[in-house]
Amino acid sequence: MNHSLKHKIISILFAVLLFGLSGVAVFREKDTYSETERRLMAQMPSVSVKTLLSGTFMTEFEEFTVDQFPLREQFRTVKALANKYLFAKSENNDIYIKDGYYAAIQYPQNEDSIAYAAKVFNSVYDRYFKDGNYNVYFSLIPDKNYFLQEDAKQLCIDYDRFEAAIQESMQRFEYIDIFDTLQIDDYYKTDTHWRQEAIRPTADALLQGMNAAQTAGLSYEMKELDVPFYGVYYGQAALPAEAETMYYADNALFDNVKVYDHENRKDIGVYDFEKANGKDPYELYLSGPLSLVTIENPDAATDRELFLFRDSFGSSIAPYFIDSYAKITLIDIRYLQSAMLGNFVDFTEGSDVLFLYSTMILNSSEVLK
Amino acid sequence: MLFSSIPFLYYFLPCVLILYVIAPKKFKNAVLLLTSLVFYGWGEPKYVLLMAVTIVIGYAAGLVIEKCIDTKPKAAKAVLIVAVCIFLGFLGYFKYANFFVENFVKLTGLDVKMLHIALPIGISFYTFQILSYCVDVYRKDVPAQKNVINLASYVTMFPQLIAGPIVRYADIALQLNDRKHTFAFVADGIRRFIIGLSKKVLLANILGEVCDAFKASDDKSVLFFWFYAVCYMLHVYFDFSGYSDMAIGLGHLFGFRFMENFNYPYISASATEFWRRWHMSLGSWFRDYVYIPLGGNRVSKARHCFNIFVVWMLTGFWHGADWVFIVWGVYFAVLLLIEKFFLLKYLKKTKVISHIYVLLMVLFSFVIFNAADMGEAVRYLGGLFGAGDYPLVSESFFWYLRNYAPVLLAGCIGATPLLRDACLKLQQKKTAGRVLNVLEPVVLVILLLLVTAYLVDGSYNPFLYFRF
Repeated sequence: MNHSLKHKIISILFAVLLFGLSGVAVFREKDTYSETERRLMAQMPSVSVKTLLSGTFMTEFEEFTVDQFPLREQFRTVKALANKYLFAKSENNDIYIKDGYYAAIQYPQNEDSIAYAAKVFNSVYDRYFKDGNYNVYFSLIPDKNYFLQEDAKQLCIDYDRFEAAIQESMQRFEYIDIFDTLQIDDYYKTDTHWRQEAIRPTADALLQGMNAAQTAGLSYEMKELDVPFYGVYYGQAALPAEAETMYYADNALFDNVKVYDHENRKDIGVYDFEKANGKDPYELYLSGPLSLVTIENPDAATDRELFLFRDSFGSSIAPYFIDSYAKITLIDIRYLQSAMLGNFVDFTEGSDVLFLYSTMILNSSEVLK
Repeated sequence: MLFSSIPFLYYFLPCVLILYVIAPKKFKNAVLLLTSLVFYGWGEPKYVLLMAVTIVIGYAAGLVIEKCIDTKPKAAKAVLIVAVCIFLGFLGYFKYANFFVENFVKLTGLDVKMLHIALPIGISFYTFQILSYCVDVYRKDVPAQKNVINLASYVTMFPQLIAGPIVRYADIALQLNDRKHTFAFVADGIRRFIIGLSKKVLLANILGEVCDAFKASDDKSVLFFWFYAVCYMLHVYFDFSGYSDMAIGLGHLFGFRFMENFNYPYISASATEFWRRWHMSLGSWFRDYVYIPLGGNRVSKARHCFNIFVVWMLTGFWHGADWVFIVWGVYFAVLLLIEKFFLLKYLKKTKVISHIYVLLMVLFSFVIFNAADMGEAVRYLGGLFGAGDYPLVSESFFWYLRNYAPVLLAGCIGATPLLRDACLKLQQKKTAGRVLNVLEPVVLVILLLLVTAYLVDGSYNPFLYFRF
């Protein structure tokens, strides 16, 4: 190939790529939602003198062009593969893969965040439980890094120090250690969460810690959900992965319980099969992220109540508590102001109170209200 | 708008190219002007007016100076002085007023309200361009531009508007009126643009992640300090030279040939040579418009030292309104004076040591350059030598070393002319030359797609020049 021909080829290839991708970007039908990233995609912002002068139009337009770029998923995968094979980076978008498990790097330990979480929990304690007869417990759910850290050679928080730091700030709460009840295969490979079918021992440890009795010989049937599950890390990592299978624990006692979603003011089920087929199948468990849910079990052999302050991990473990309590109130103070709780929840004297949170939430606790 | 962004690459640039190609020859500069104003207004809508005022004053001053220079030289000089004062006044107000007020308050303890003036992007670049234009007209080096659109096109031309190189009017005066567009020139521009884009996105941005992570880390160690310093040194080089490559490449697409701005500065054997290879357009601007007018080296030794000191202090100050940049400039002034009067003759004798010396001196300088304040600069320089009770190594150091060593290695090789020289040598061989000719378009396409992938998925894409 002579130089003249090369120059023409370079010019033509550049023009084809530039104008081709540009044309497709402009004229393609715009996406509204990204299944893999589990988020709404930016849309063309509205133009006005105000948005132009303030620069918000430009910022939003940039987000729009990036979100709506043709072959976006494929380009994201190209980047992930380049990071892995070209630059030999062990993570992409802070997600690394070890033995098939996808995990987000949790580093460094955010002392301010831990302190803030403790402050929020303590203020809840002072406001609602200090002057009453309550059994207040606290438990920490380790994220996947806890189990992968030794082999993965990733930056990782010191979990002993983390546990000590939060315990130090929450001395009035009785701590229930569940770290030893869990192992890495109790978690989904591509998701942050634990598998409901694997956490019975964890639920038992918590119930035992709260001195809550269970019906002797109670067992659950593990049913398979007919929905392929790709966890939240799958989309973030942008690398190919196999779908996982979800299971849910079923028992006849769930047929008679009344589950009420106070946020949307409607009855729901222990499992929400409609949501399981939606954007995030993990919302199968108690309909996912809801601010306030109550579960009433008329067949309970006790009249004890549990107030469960929880994050998303709480949805899948709560069904295991149903047998041991007449009423469980699940409270998510990521979506509900803790100072306003008194307006919505009647904290019955003598109840158990469990604060059950993952290390991930406590290490970025600004979401707690 | 950043060159390394999806809106620029796949929205703005295609539109400009279409408009430019379909516009008749006499309107091509007008197309460049209008699109450049959109480009500038995209990031700084309210400061388009400031730039327009600067251009109009420069245009009028050029015409008056040319008219008076032979008949009324004093009037021409007065017009030049007024124009220069206005330009420097704009620059001083928008870039340095905050700094002066802040230091005045610190010095006097008086309760003076801070001005909080936002810095218009690119003001340092376009002010220097219009300044040089007026001075060149006064010196009769160039005739005044009669067409305001042509002058405005020169000042606002988007390829070089916000991050240089500082293009002299004299260098492109002829091209403004008459320029050719050939496949060879365009292909050369495309190659240059894609290489610059790759330097920015695939090397500078990735190395920049390490620098930001280091600064935020609570797990610093002595070797982590060194790792950070090397990464930053390469980050700033690939960022800046990448922008210059993109600017030069884009210039080619529109028929312009801009001056080179970088010439492998890290292979220099002295700080003096380093500054002949680093940001060459700025160095030559200060030489021609400050150093030589001050008398250059044709003066007494003391005056010569003073001239160097002033030029480098201003060079530092040009980079940002902060003591860090002044100290950075003075650091080089001292280094250049030491070399001039003592060290240079020894450096010429020992090639390896001279290279190590330059790399270390430049590394220290960039540690100062990237510090948030002088306190941090001193802490970081101390950290390199174990001051501050830092351990020798830390977990974070090993992690970043493991994850970024390949990029660092690519950066080290890319900062030398090894690859370029190898390609040139192969090009001279018949078969290898043919293979290279086939490979070149393929590699360029792969690089463009790879860069696009990083821009589509990436969030780290800083713009270093907002303070210039």
